[in-house]
Amino acid sequence: MTLQLASVCKTYRRFGKPPVAAVKLLDLEVADGETMALLGSSGCGKTSSLRMIAGFEAVTSGAIKLKARRIDTLPPARRGVAMAFETYALYPPLTIAENIGFALAADRSARGSAASRVRQIADLLEITPILERRPAGLSGGEQQRASLARALIRNVDLHLLDEPMSQLEPQLRAVLRGRVKSLLRERGYTAVFVTHDQTEANALADRIAVMEGGVLQQCGTAEELRERPSNTFVATFFGEPPMNLLPAIAEPAVARLTGAPEIALPLAVPLALAEGQAIEIGIRPHRIQLGNFPLRGIVLSNQWLGDEAHIAVEFAGRTIVAVSPVRIAVRAGDAIGLGIDPASLHVFDRMSGCALAHGGMRA
Amino acid sequence: MAGITAERISVIYGKRRVLREVSLEVAAGKTLVLFGPSGAGKSVLLRAIAGLEPNTQGLVRIAGADVSALGPERRGVGVAFQNFALYPHFSAFDNIASPLRAQGVVAGEIGRRVEKIAALLKIGHVLNQFPRELSNGQRQRTALARALVGEPKALLLDDPLRNVDAKLRYEMRLELPRLLRGFGAAVIYVTQDFREAMALGDEVAILAGGELLQLGTPETIYATPNNVAVARLFGDPPMNLLAVETETRGGETVAAIAGFRFRFVASAEAAGKALLGIRPDALALVPAGTRGAAPMTILADTPLHDRHVLLVRAKDGNELVVSSRVPATSDEVWVKPDVALLFAQASGLHMATAVQERAMA
Repeated sequence: MTLQLASVCKTYRRFGKPPVAAVKLLDLEVADGETMALLGSSGCGKTSSLRMIAGFEAVTSGAIKLKARRIDTLPPARRGVAMAFETYALYPPLTIAENIGFALAADRSARGSAASRVRQIADLLEITPILERRPAGLSGGEQQRASLARALIRNVDLHLLDEPMSQLEPQLRAVLRGRVKSLLRERGYTAVFVTHDQTEANALADRIAVMEGGVLQQCGTAEELRERPSNTFVATFFGEPPMNLLPAIAEPAVARLTGAPEIALPLAVPLALAEGQAIEIGIRPHRIQLGNFPLRGIVLSNQWLGDEAHIAVEFAGRTIVAVSPVRIAVRAGDAIGLGIDPASLHVFDRMSGCALAHGGMRA
Repeated sequence: MAGITAERISVIYGKRRVLREVSLEVAAGKTLVLFGPSGAGKSVLLRAIAGLEPNTQGLVRIAGADVSALGPERRGVGVAFQNFALYPHFSAFDNIASPLRAQGVVAGEIGRRVEKIAALLKIGHVLNQFPRELSNGQRQRTALARALVGEPKALLLDDPLRNVDAKLRYEMRLELPRLLRGFGAAVIYVTQDFREAMALGDEVAILAGGELLQLGTPETIYATPNNVAVARLFGDPPMNLLAVETETRGGETVAAIAGFRFRFVASAEAAGKALLGIRPDALALVPAGTRGAAPMTILADTPLHDRHVLLVRAKDGNELVVSSRVPATSDEVWVKPDVALLFAQASGLHMATAVQERAMA
């Protein structure tokens, strides 16, 4: 493991105010060459975690190790990390080229090749035309790319990126995400980045750590988060459209829907559930089939998004969403059949939100 | 016509013309999405229609009546902004009631109408709370309720989902069209989000640099952008655009690039330097050696929702983005386009659409 966080806590104490536990007992391991996303909404603890790794915040308790070396007591400059800040933090009097090459100037081994390395990373991030300009007057997207270049040009043990592409022009996003991901892989960089945007986490990361309320909810690949979410928070936070949830009551081998007691959905594995246990049944929009099926719902809307259709359907007293890869000719008010395969159903405990089963497998 | 008509709207700040003769029409019960990059003039146009932009030239009609000379409160428009713009010292109830009070509606009627719209927007339980006590989603719904409560003939929504989280944005994207349909107002909806534009717009107007570039149904604009700027803006991931040298001979114009060869119906204009556009979802992974396909190297897979967005490099060094439902099984793949557009390099105008392609022998 390149980076290890063990039981890391961060509690902010301000005079006259109750303490705020921003990060609670965070355990996280990032492998050599891996890209990890810390994903969550504002206040979830992701940025505090990143700043503790960088050394801009002290840990309240716990330990952080980088390449088997304890770093949480070291000053930031001695940790062997490079960081790209959400606020860019470019030096105003320096040109973009000087900003990007700044850390290389101190690095004797890089001196001869510094200019060509700056040029190379600038080409990759499409900022070559602005290399001789100063930060003032550049767009947010341009400054953000310069800040990213300044971090990625350095060959360090760990790259830390705070919302690295949040301001990127949408027209550049797809290509630059691809190039940055390819660069991280080619150079074998280990990276941790913070984002509130699940599409960015999904696009760039090998694994994603979902945080909420200072607590790590789940850490896994995008596929694991989608196919085996550990709780209802992850299930409805990750994935667009989010997973559909239907409240139900457990019966032997079936789930009886609370909103439509006449419907009992068969479950793929007979669970050792207490009969009468309150559960939630989850099904991902991409797994619902539409057509001639006995389960019926009423279409509320049918939106074509250019590459897939999202169909909202009133079913069992809820609005659920199904995704179709092709256009289908249904309109609001039409009745429609829903094909739900027991192997695609997720079962959660309604009280705790914890996953009990995913398709045929116990959670 | 009932609805909103804007004729030759220009807005000038000092010497700078931020909006140049923009004309558009929205029928009652329909939604027009105003789409463009930041700085395009979208919000300025909305403010001009609302009567909030003093330097406006041109004509605005709401429900058939010329309101160009009227103040904002007398135009019969409802407005919601991306920053919500709620009065911080008013409760949610009083925020929603404010346009009715301004119109002099009697108290009992105000209470009835506020509660009705609040129930529709699912904020009936927070009407006594102040904006600082509301979640972002509740603030945004309060702002929408305030825009709708006067049952305006024209509703202007300035990127109302921009500042809410992804989950809420998704929910509202589903719910808004149904909600709006019930009011029968003509709606102008500003956004920079392509999927929002596709989902909400009966029609889309693409605005850039203060000019209206294209107006049409979302499907038409996606399939046939009339201009390279529109092609670049409208799509996620956006259209691949490659600089290409075309040759015109024997009744056809040929563009060969990235291992592909496209044939277009010949036109004198199409000869020489041009830009070739291919949508990422018009590129498919196919078995090696497939006719019309070319070999590529995968640089990265950056998934978007359930799709694989592949950055690939052709043998001639050109990079392309491919949006595929299936993952690639190796780093070397064969890619086949099914449609391509040709744009003039100088003017950016759309010249031709390739109907047929052949492999480079």
